[in-house]
Amino acid sequence: MILAIVIVTAAILALGIILRLATIQHLQVSRERAGQVGSIRPIDIEAFRNLVDSAEDEYLRRRLSPAKFREVRRTRLRAMAAYVHAVGENAAVLVRVGELALASGDPHIAEASQQLVNDALLLRRNATVALARIYFALAWPYSSFAAVRVADRYERLSGSAMLLGRLQNPAIAVRLSASRAR
Amino acid sequence: MLQPHSLLWHYLWLGPQVLQGALAVVLWRRGIHKLFPFFFAYLIFGAIEQFTLYAMDVVPFGSVDAFWEAFFAGAIIEGAIKFAVIGELFFHLLQSRPAIAKLGSRLISGVGAAVLLLAVAAAAYTPVVHRPLISISRAYILLQSSYVIDCGLALFLFLFAAHFKLTWNYRAFGIALGLGTVWCEHMAAWTLSASGVLHNKSYLLDFVNTGTYHVCVLIWCYFLLVPEKVATTSAVSLPENNLDIWNRELERLLQQ
Repeated sequence: MILAIVIVTAAILALGIILRLATIQHLQVSRERAGQVGSIRPIDIEAFRNLVDSAEDEYLRRRLSPAKFREVRRTRLRAMAAYVHAVGENAAVLVRVGELALASGDPHIAEASQQLVNDALLLRRNATVALARIYFALAWPYSSFAAVRVADRYERLSGSAMLLGRLQNPAIAVRLSASRAR
Repeated sequence: MLQPHSLLWHYLWLGPQVLQGALAVVLWRRGIHKLFPFFFAYLIFGAIEQFTLYAMDVVPFGSVDAFWEAFFAGAIIEGAIKFAVIGELFFHLLQSRPAIAKLGSRLISGVGAAVLLLAVAAAAYTPVVHRPLISISRAYILLQSSYVIDCGLALFLFLFAAHFKLTWNYRAFGIALGLGTVWCEHMAAWTLSASGVLHNKSYLLDFVNTGTYHVCVLIWCYFLLVPEKVATTSAVSLPENNLDIWNRELERLLQQ
């Protein structure tokens, strides 16, 4: 009887999740038809790199008492998690932008879009793994890990997005050059 | 009205199968069966299976044992086809996304193995309540296990697509939505049947099962036969403001 209740509850939950995700997907497609994709949050890559730098951690470990180090390390890990979460969300937005641009008839735009989609998906995957490791490290602050790959991937993704942006709207690229000259 | 062999009972058993058969014919004529060969096989096999079982149920000379043996055999074949349909949907989801194809394959294998273990464990702990006719319990437990796996995999497909913000192919989305809905409902209904909690009212689950299946066949008809609305623009540009922010961030990076 208990087993039946557990399975039936699981089935109801699964059905609820599937219907909810299907509705979200439907709304997302409707929004995209209207030309609306999510917005991208700016990320300070250097600050992020500083947070994930293992040398900094090592320096703090040497300078601080174990209790203070654990406290500081957890604060840094929480900040890191916030960055990685934002990176993952940005990657998801770029997946959508790239996939919509894939339909373009221009082969250059299509190629740039495919590149953007691939990079964004890999970044999203890395961000998920990095988040899992950060949460693991929150429980065990002395464990070491490298989230540098996320930062590297993010920079590469920036390049792909810039390329697609330029191909789709060359005026933006001109403005970038102009602002640099300023 | 909610009695076995009532008009509604006959309609809900046969109606979706007739609709499903007609859908298969239209898919064949439009060439859509080539895009989803396993789903097409699922439609054909499902219709034939249910017509056969219906005939075995209503003919006066049909034996109960033969019905449940046929039911059991049909469930095994249908179970194999359902796995192929899940693979087909997953293939459509990852087809143009090679970056996560390997990860996706590994994850679905892992999730498949996990839900298989759960289904086996659940089957082992499910009591045999129909002792006089063991083939009924055997068929119910088989279906319970089968739908635990199907439901788990369908849920995984939706969660995977949502996590990576992947957009489903319009038709694949309709197929997945219909299957996900019916599999979750069947998982609950066959579990209740297997555990025998409804005693002599278990025929009510037939109405829930066939009614849900009817709704799902209508979902498939809509997504497979009604053309998708075409977007007004072929591609969405990066939002200008966002791009400016992005560019500013990159410039800051370059200047450091």
